[in-house]
Amino acid sequence: MALPLPPGLTPPEVAFLCEMELVSIIPRQRLDSLDLLGGSIPALVPPHKTSVPLWLALLLKRQRRANIVPPPWLAPPWLTAILEYETEHPDTFSPPPRLPPAPGDHSIVFSPPFLPQSTVEAGPDALPYHWLELGEMLLEAATDDFEDGESVRRLLQGLREVRMAKLRKRTETLDEPGGIRMNGIGGMEVAEGRSFITGVVDGLRRIRATYEEKRRERGTEDGAGSPRTVDDYDDDEMETQLTS
Amino acid sequence: MDIDDLLAEVSAGAIPQQQRDLQELTRAWVAERCAPEILEWPENLMGRVLGRIRKQIELVEEQTGDMDAKTNFKLIIVQTELERFKFLVRSFLRARIKKIDAHPHHLLSLLPTNPRLLSPSEQQYLTAHQSLLSAHYAASFLSQFPAPLQKLDDTTGGVSMIDRPDTQSAVFARALRDCEVWSEGGGEGARVRMRRGDVWVVRWGGVRAAVERGDVELI
Repeated sequence: MALPLPPGLTPPEVAFLCEMELVSIIPRQRLDSLDLLGGSIPALVPPHKTSVPLWLALLLKRQRRANIVPPPWLAPPWLTAILEYETEHPDTFSPPPRLPPAPGDHSIVFSPPFLPQSTVEAGPDALPYHWLELGEMLLEAATDDFEDGESVRRLLQGLREVRMAKLRKRTETLDEPGGIRMNGIGGMEVAEGRSFITGVVDGLRRIRATYEEKRRERGTEDGAGSPRTVDDYDDDEMETQLTS
Repeated sequence: MDIDDLLAEVSAGAIPQQQRDLQELTRAWVAERCAPEILEWPENLMGRVLGRIRKQIELVEEQTGDMDAKTNFKLIIVQTELERFKFLVRSFLRARIKKIDAHPHHLLSLLPTNPRLLSPSEQQYLTAHQSLLSAHYAASFLSQFPAPLQKLDDTTGGVSMIDRPDTQSAVFARALRDCEVWSEGGGEGARVRMRRGDVWVVRWGGVRAAVERGDVELI
């Protein structure tokens, strides 16, 4: 009964989340509007573009009832520009899409996958949270809807490699005072890096906790107010070696 | 629908309740999958969602006899979505049961001060499961031990037998509104200003309050 999975979303679960992203389709058949549990689906009238969740778009696509319009950012010129940015900035991810302002105090704030960041109206110059999963799924299910699927695939691969290298490099600074900021990270990247990153952060914390405890113990044994002695200095050195 | 619902709808920018519930349920599921501690049972949300699922199942059952190709395809869509919702709810509940199984004594000690932490069925599961387990342990080996060693929740002697979740473990958090959280790194803690959309790796203890307020979500 209990879930046998470790904490944190697994890649299939991230893909499941991604399937809730809105994408634009051009229907090839009429379909009346439908009242679903997560809100109603507008009526599909060919050839008017409509935004539907990705899972429905994939279902319609597989049955040849619709064509999917790839989001603007999933096109070679924009992906090339983003890839350039990623290569030029070795320390940060490219900035995520601009967000609509947060609503007033009491209403719920929407966040990916429920923001329209992959419809035809989406901004072309930023990778949304589910960029990798969405790109892969569209390339797999709707290759014929891309003008140049092969370039898109190549660019996505390039982006993935550059960004994974950054994620690995970030692990060198996991012990920085003040926490770790990871703006622009993607859903699949969180899933892949989670166990390592949280493992390192938690491990360092435990090492430090034992060290602090020891120091406190020694402080009370010495009966001295100031704990900084030559011994402590040695310990500090050892700790830097451990953490570097 | 009464006047309060209508007013709530207007203030939320006329986004239908269904859409808001899906966002809320998804967020609750992700949070429950990522957080080291069990979170408060979202009673109102689950009531609405489960009610709608029940109605949808009835609808599907009613229409299954219909063999018309067009309604048939509609039914496929409805059923696909229904299955997705059921998956969300099931995975959410199972993630909670996992935490209940992992820290039963700890939760039992929390319940008197926070009775809304678990749903009635979860509370029932927790107490029934624990009494079965302790009866079983007592029957199979605990009764052979000297009386002072028979406890399952002994806290004397400096070592507690009660397993607690590690509230300081690292999580990925994303700010929904500008807010301040407590972040630690390199042995020092500091108040960190999170701007809307920022993603930080922080200790769960530092963001728990912000997550409960709805200013921060786990990813």
